[in-house]
Amino acid sequence: MLVAILAHFALAAVLPLVARRYGRAAFVVGALAPAATLVYALARGGEAVSGAPPLETLAWAPVIGLEFTARFDELALLLILLVSGIGAVVLCYYSRYAKPDDHRTAARDSALLVTFAGAMLGLVLADDVISLYLFWELTTVCSFLLVGGDGVAKRLRTSATQALLVTTLGGLAMLLGLILLGTAAGTMRISEILADPPSGGIVTAALLLVLLGALTKSAQVPFHPWLPSAMVAPTPVSAYLHAAAMVKAGVYLVARFSPAFADHPAWWIPIVVCGLWTMLLGGFRALRQYDLKTLLAYGTISQLGFLMVMLGAGTWMSALAAGTLILAHGLFKSALFLTVGIIDKRAGTRDIRELSGLGRQWRGLTTLATFALMSMAGLPPLLGFIGKEVALEALFEGGTVDRLIGVGVAVGSVLTVVYSLRFLRGAFGTKPDMAPSAPVPCGRVMTGMVAVPSLAGLVLALAPSVIEPVETGYADRYGKDPGYHLALWHGITPALMISVGIIAAGVAVHRYAGVQRLGGYVPGPLRAQSWYGRSVEGLESLARGVTGRLQVGSLPVYLGVILTTLVVVPGAGLFSGDIDFGELRLFDNWLQVPLALLVLVAAATSLLARRRLTAVLLAGVVGYGIGAWFVVDGGADLALAQFLVETLTLVVFVFVIRRFPPRFIENKAYVGGRWVKAVIAGVAGTFVAVLAVLYSGYRGGIPEASRQYIERAEDETGATNVVNAIIVDFRAFDTIGEITVLAVAATGVASLILARSRRRNGTVGRPEPTEQDATDDTGTTETPEVRS
Amino acid sequence: MNPFLAQQMQTVEAPGIDWGAILPMVIVFGAACVGVLIEAFVPKHQRWSGQVVLTLGSIAAAGIALGAYVSGRPEHGVVTMGTTLSIDTPALFLWGTLLALSVAAVLMIADRSVEPGGSFVAQAGIAPGTVQDRAQVQSTGMQTEVFPLALFALGGMMAFTAANDLLTMFIALEVLSLPLYLMCGLARRRRLLSQEAAVKYFLLGAFASAFFLYGLALLYGYAGSVKLADIATAAAGTDRSDTLLFAGLGLLMVGLLFKGSVGPFHTWTPDVYQGAPTPVTAFMAACTKVAAFGGILRVLTVAFEATSWEWRGVMWAVAIISMAIGAVLGLTQTDLKRMIAYSSIAHAGFLLIGTMALTDEGLSGTLFYLLAYGFTTLAAFGVISLVRDSTGEATHLSAWAGLAKRSPLLAGVFTFLLLALAGIPLTSGFVGKFVVFSAALSDGMAPLVVIALVFSAVAAFFYLRVVVLMYFSEPASDGPTVSVPGAFTTASIALGVIVTLLLGLLPTFALDWAGAGGFALGG
Repeated sequence: MLVAILAHFALAAVLPLVARRYGRAAFVVGALAPAATLVYALARGGEAVSGAPPLETLAWAPVIGLEFTARFDELALLLILLVSGIGAVVLCYYSRYAKPDDHRTAARDSALLVTFAGAMLGLVLADDVISLYLFWELTTVCSFLLVGGDGVAKRLRTSATQALLVTTLGGLAMLLGLILLGTAAGTMRISEILADPPSGGIVTAALLLVLLGALTKSAQVPFHPWLPSAMVAPTPVSAYLHAAAMVKAGVYLVARFSPAFADHPAWWIPIVVCGLWTMLLGGFRALRQYDLKTLLAYGTISQLGFLMVMLGAGTWMSALAAGTLILAHGLFKSALFLTVGIIDKRAGTRDIRELSGLGRQWRGLTTLATFALMSMAGLPPLLGFIGKEVALEALFEGGTVDRLIGVGVAVGSVLTVVYSLRFLRGAFGTKPDMAPSAPVPCGRVMTGMVAVPSLAGLVLALAPSVIEPVETGYADRYGKDPGYHLALWHGITPALMISVGIIAAGVAVHRYAGVQRLGGYVPGPLRAQSWYGRSVEGLESLARGVTGRLQVGSLPVYLGVILTTLVVVPGAGLFSGDIDFGELRLFDNWLQVPLALLVLVAAATSLLARRRLTAVLLAGVVGYGIGAWFVVDGGADLALAQFLVETLTLVVFVFVIRRFPPRFIENKAYVGGRWVKAVIAGVAGTFVAVLAVLYSGYRGGIPEASRQYIERAEDETGATNVVNAIIVDFRAFDTIGEITVLAVAATGVASLILARSRRRNGTVGRPEPTEQDATDDTGTTETPEVRS
Repeated sequence: MNPFLAQQMQTVEAPGIDWGAILPMVIVFGAACVGVLIEAFVPKHQRWSGQVVLTLGSIAAAGIALGAYVSGRPEHGVVTMGTTLSIDTPALFLWGTLLALSVAAVLMIADRSVEPGGSFVAQAGIAPGTVQDRAQVQSTGMQTEVFPLALFALGGMMAFTAANDLLTMFIALEVLSLPLYLMCGLARRRRLLSQEAAVKYFLLGAFASAFFLYGLALLYGYAGSVKLADIATAAAGTDRSDTLLFAGLGLLMVGLLFKGSVGPFHTWTPDVYQGAPTPVTAFMAACTKVAAFGGILRVLTVAFEATSWEWRGVMWAVAIISMAIGAVLGLTQTDLKRMIAYSSIAHAGFLLIGTMALTDEGLSGTLFYLLAYGFTTLAAFGVISLVRDSTGEATHLSAWAGLAKRSPLLAGVFTFLLLALAGIPLTSGFVGKFVVFSAALSDGMAPLVVIALVFSAVAAFFYLRVVVLMYFSEPASDGPTVSVPGAFTTASIALGVIVTLLLGLLPTFALDWAGAGGFALGG
């Protein structure tokens, strides 16, 4: 089966070339891939239902357990019938639907549709988490591109983006859920996870995440609005993606996992609740639509909800119903979409207020569409009827909860009957107060393509034994076969009576026009579409607000952010622990007191300085003050280095500042911000100072190195002053290093001065190296301090 | 010989140096010094070709030396140059990554066809906006000092990722940072923006370095040693109060996270990425990130593994903040370079998740992610440099509208790179995210992975917006032109795209190498 998937992608790659030459015939060529797959799948159908489904793997990155696996079982076969069968039909249909001379669109859409068919095929066959996710997102991307079309109209872009956003978000949630499930089960193979389902709290979370993916993809409440919006796509695309294939992916996912988790409350309760809600809301909203396509879209939402409910119910019978309905829905809904395509294309509109008398002109198409509508409404002798019979049987034979669900389903089915009638009358009926639409032929090929799914629904209903092995094969995963068989006639059963009641009620509601006027109304604030809009807008305005405040381009603000984080994060860690300041003394030498005051005052006043030069000089005072401190503490060499470096820095500063305006920028509005900055700077400075005190408190006695210096100074160097011994003997290399750095810095400053005077004298050398040197030097002057 | 000196010679034992192991780094630093000499002694018109040959040649030679060493390397790595450098598998992997990335970056730096004369200013000393400045924009010369500067930065990065003690790490940090500060200010066009970027980067970077140093001092006070392994021993084996340890770690991490542009220490990133010449931005975005995270990985794994329970909470917060800032703020950006800058902040958050895992999978995953991200982002900047109008690069988003209609190949390549940044399957970005997140999951960080996934979805939104803009809009009539890139830029973009694709399709080779061994703890 992997070959079939690859064949799709290979064919899609060459289709643009075909389309460039032969135009819309490319769609027919593209149809070969799904058609061949369908034949191949049917030929191997026996293996799929045999109980030991064939498994194929292709290694991708075995180190991290990435591989493609395809497992061809009953459920996959069921979906392939739809994916490949409807795919081939839609592609053939599109070859007539597309404009004959638009090769560009033909190239894009044919390639994308075949890619999509391949991705969908991969999705239903995938047996490992990553392949599943990969194909899942590939269908999303194809859908985005197909809905967006050439993207010139804004409406196309917003619809395509909405579908993409909602389903991608769901897809990511699903990936996470699947990975969590896989981690809990210890395997990434879906069949193995299902064979031995894990349990525990993490599994509950995982299931909810997986469900999120399924619900978004299958347009369940409250994620449904993307589906009606996506109706801007070309009708064949809608018929394939939004009726038969892509929206089934969510249903498929639920169908895949339900056998193992049907009893898990976190699984079946959300499914049933969302499903029922969706079924009712979709049906209700469909009553108000005038656009035939949007009407079908809401119908699809409603039917998908129905499918979810049946899968959530999780019994043998309900699974049988779900399996049958998946097939039935794919067939009748694609037939109806294709019908709408013909109406739109030939009659020029799909608004039911402008259509009249088409039924008399196009008898063949009307008959086919009526079959499809009957299947949708659940009338015999069609597949939809069989499916609904099984569903009602399953629900009303069960317990109280099942019966309650059954009531909901019955109400939803009434709505289905009503909007089916609305479609039939709106599309084909002759309205007394309207002139009939102009007579045009409806196209033989396109009608023929409607006939395939429409008649398939009839044929399969008359001979249900053809599909029964597939359906029961899937249902058997839920328990023992109670001996039920798919058939049109089971005798007079409660289910049949309920069916009759549903249809009668539907016809009655349809007749009573007042209900229709009320139908479908949802107050503005409750509409899910407005919630989508608001969350997207909210995110953008939040982003704009935060950017405006944080990323202002101002260096002090940036530094403020860093300093605040610095004080808060390590500060919190620091003060949460036990602090031992050790033995604190105020000062060792009374000279330290005035020096400390001098340094503090200079640092504080430099903040308030208006002139640049004043600020620089005050900063210099801080440096000299610390140098003096070194002298007091007996570090004459350090003091020397400090004084030199301070002097050099000052000189460089003065040179640079000469070119600047004398004062900092004066701005009244700025003053308020200055206090904030001063506070942040003060707090950060205090924090660093506290750390320093703390640090010195932790020094347990003289380090080993110092002890050795003192011990050996006299014996090994002959010096009585230990500091001298260290500078000129023990660490003489360091001294050389410091001297070198100082010399280089001094040379840099000297060359700066000399270069300036030389330029003034007219002998201008290359200006750039000197400036560069200067920059380098201000960088390296840090080094002596650092090393000391 | 003086008997006194002779006696000294016996007692001083020279530290052992494994030349084979450090040869790649020595080649890079040596070539950088030669590059400086070329600037001093070679006539101006020959410098560019000399520098390009020297730079590319030395990187290639370093690569060969690395390849030769890797095949016969000791399994658990070696500690050499005394105990200052630790040449182990992660260091070698990062060296390989850095060398490969800098080949692509140097090719972009050397390109003189996209922007006539190159992206670098002809004479850095000219004041912006003057007559001379307008003349230099038209001239075809460039400040060729940028090549040795790039080599020094590269050498510093290599030393940084292999540093076995904090002091070496600090010096390497300065060696890699100082050239970058300078290189940021050398843009040929929009020079004020470029110089402002350089000043901001320098000042904030100096602060970050100071914090690093302060943290180093505190850790020395705690452990009595600057060696990573000794700090680990001290942290594991004493009943001392951990106050100093955590304050020191916090300050140290500020410096490291700043270099990795992890939020909330990211503030410089958008401004600097936007202002710097695009090849330098590419170099910084790819190589600095690799080096910074290489350093973070080593520090956390070697020195602080035993105390991971205490600091992990804070790092969670930092990772979440970084992802949130990158993803949410990226949404509003209208400048492509700034947008990629925010994306790099978000990616830093993702990387941090892998870094925190402290398992073998976390290590190899993060290394792989770095390799993948580096090439993708480098090629993305390469593409950005090609779309130009009369004032230079057209980085405003509106200029990119409908680009696919005018230049389908470029739009296709850029789309692919954006998809890789978003982490779409079959690109290296997906595999990278996959390995990092699965490592985090198996280390019990599921909630963080959930948050990361949400933010990767938000981030995907803004990459996608560019794709939509390129494909689904009508091009403006006075829109920018797409330069036909010269051989250098083409080669560098092609390299990035091919690696992105290969790592996406066949990640096994790189993953094997990344997972071949852990950090050497010796010394």
